[in-house]
Amino acid sequence: MTDTIVDTPSDFAGNAAYVLVAFLVIMALYSILTQKNLIKICIGIAVLGSSVNFFLVLLGYRQGGGIPVYYLAGAKKTMVLPTPQCLTLTAIVIALATTALMLSLVILIHKHYGTLNVDEIRRLRG
Amino acid sequence: MNWHDHLPAFLVMIPLLGAFLTPFAASFGKTARNAFFMLFMALTLVVGMLLCTATFDGGVLVYVMGGENFSLTLPSGMSYPVRILFEIDAFGSLLIFCISFAAFAGALFSIQYMDRFSGWKRFMSLYFLMTTGALGMSATGDLFNFFVFVEISSIASFGLVAFWRDKPESLEASFKYMLISQVAAMLLLIAIGSLYGKYNALNMGALSSMLRSGTLERVSLALILSVLAFKCGAFPMHTWMPDAYAEAPSGVTCLLVTVSQASFYGLIRVCYTIFPAVTQGGTVGWILIALGCMSMFFGVMMAVVQHEIKRLMGYHSISQVGYMLLAMGVGLLALSDGNSNGTVAAYGLTAMKGGLFHVVNYSFYKGLLFLCAGALYYATGTRDLDKMGGLARSMPWTAGMFAVAAAAISGLPPFNGFVSKWMIYESSFAVHPLLPAVAMITSVLTLASFAKVFQAAFLGPSKAKLVAVREVPYGMLAGMAILTVMTLLLTLFPGWFMDNFFENAARALLDRQGYIRAVLGGM
Amino acid sequence: MWNQLDTGFGHWNVFVWLCFFVIVSGFVLWVRSLGRMDYKRNTDQDEIYWSGNEVPDDGAKISVPASSSYWGFRVAMEPLYAVLDKFHSGNASDYAGYFVVTVALIGLLVLF
Repeated sequence: MTDTIVDTPSDFAGNAAYVLVAFLVIMALYSILTQKNLIKICIGIAVLGSSVNFFLVLLGYRQGGGIPVYYLAGAKKTMVLPTPQCLTLTAIVIALATTALMLSLVILIHKHYGTLNVDEIRRLRG
Repeated sequence: MNWHDHLPAFLVMIPLLGAFLTPFAASFGKTARNAFFMLFMALTLVVGMLLCTATFDGGVLVYVMGGENFSLTLPSGMSYPVRILFEIDAFGSLLIFCISFAAFAGALFSIQYMDRFSGWKRFMSLYFLMTTGALGMSATGDLFNFFVFVEISSIASFGLVAFWRDKPESLEASFKYMLISQVAAMLLLIAIGSLYGKYNALNMGALSSMLRSGTLERVSLALILSVLAFKCGAFPMHTWMPDAYAEAPSGVTCLLVTVSQASFYGLIRVCYTIFPAVTQGGTVGWILIALGCMSMFFGVMMAVVQHEIKRLMGYHSISQVGYMLLAMGVGLLALSDGNSNGTVAAYGLTAMKGGLFHVVNYSFYKGLLFLCAGALYYATGTRDLDKMGGLARSMPWTAGMFAVAAAAISGLPPFNGFVSKWMIYESSFAVHPLLPAVAMITSVLTLASFAKVFQAAFLGPSKAKLVAVREVPYGMLAGMAILTVMTLLLTLFPGWFMDNFFENAARALLDRQGYIRAVLGGM
Repeated sequence: MWNQLDTGFGHWNVFVWLCFFVIVSGFVLWVRSLGRMDYKRNTDQDEIYWSGNEVPDDGAKISVPASSSYWGFRVAMEPLYAVLDKFHSGNASDYAGYFVVTVALIGLLVLF
């Protein structure tokens, strides 16, 4: 079966997805670094997590590959790699947990500070 | 089939089980809850110690998760391992030693420290999870699994830093830590994913055997390096550290210190074992040295002018991590100078041994310092040094243990901190005379700021507001005493610890082929 | 040897130092024993001398607060501390920015 596994395509269509990942990462970083609203920063974190998950799924893709379940794949002998999908599932769960925790922290911060502006939440400095 | 073979699994299983059994145990009342907490922490400690002794002879323990056989690393003719496996060598067990001790002492301290507060169930669960994460980080042999453990310990620590959620500062500290930590974690995942995309392997040993130098590898190394340097608090990325260390409950800070040590383990493991093809040029060694020097100097400069006791200690953590980064950078430089067959120049080996010695010293005396700060907070209700004074009369035990820890961190002979710092000075002098100069200035300023803390908190006339202050309860003193005893043992028997721990750990770190062979068999 | 440490450049033995401390503390006690023993207890000779002023009851009034110690050091290093204080601005976006910039710098250094 090893001979049927082809490398990730190197043509434009194959790489466009990676460009999209890079774009998403930069967009997320832009929002984290420049936005003043805590909620928008959280959105940035969530976008960053999703782009990384997208990247992981993309890594496992093989052109024309079927689902990586042996008895469901049918006649197709090329399968996408299963490991990155497992990684993605784990990463999604982690991202979910952190986003939930982060938003709950934002709620509590708003309760105490009365603001969501990141410039005003700076009692700890120096 | 011997139960001894399953120790690596028990190491992570016991605290993880503890985390999920906590709500049940807590429903049987306070005594049962505390007994359960201490029992599981003690079991973790015992397993950690057994693992340490198992790797004393330089062996590497490998444990395959989810396989039909725990020792079968390469099932059905595969050439590279596919399952998650734990791989513990002498270097990993050194960290396990530190983490399990600090976790036990912090737990013992927390029982009475946190007694006045509600939310004990959540506190215990998160504490167990953080221990799991830290132990897993130093035991795992799989990069993605490493990421998962990093996240387990991070998420638990976000929760614990913000544990006093009625205090705005702790929420703020937790949020800042979490924000940078999440960006860092995602970059780490990108790096791990890229390596997987190129080599189709996540196992550290397998990656190490395949890895060649290239653009992708360089980018991945840079990402992993900076993320883990952030996690252990290297200079330009250290800003979360004083916030989080100061605002977390003290028992938790004691454990947070070792969690950052586990990140340091990951950093060193990645640089020495997985990426020698890239670190060969010496650039990475110099990056570590530069990060170390900056952390040492700026960390201590900020610490000297603080007057909030835990924040001051948080800045000291940065400068202490700087020593280890410096030592390991010197070791990496010596390794890239030396021959490719694993031999290393004498100064490199001394630097590595000194650095590893400092890791252990730092875990114990820094944990002790944070516990002492917690005891002061417990007794006086303030963390501001301006409001303390003359406490040595009412809190003699705390004062004594604080003095031991402060002398050790300032590198006063004959304490253990001096020995490890001295080894770092000696070996970094071989690279450039400026490096030990920076380290010594740091040491002097450390002494200066701890002299200030001791003077302000324990000496001087008693203050009218503090006449009612009494010594903290015995449970808290016991937690501090464990770490004091460990510090004194390291002081009195440095030769024994060197022969059995640090020498082995440094050799294990250099023996890359042995690490690979344990997974891939005879290659 | 359990307490002897060979660093490759020299030796460290903690008991040599302990002996040193024992000898020095013996010397200190000897010097102390040379002091005057003829002062009168429970008289003014026993009192704290505080520049001729009456000593206040509350220690807080005569102690130097911790934030005032090393004041001279701080003043001498003011240019550095101005930069450092500005650096530790407390702003979470700034902190994330430092992280990203450092990652980029390390990336460039490793890459080239």
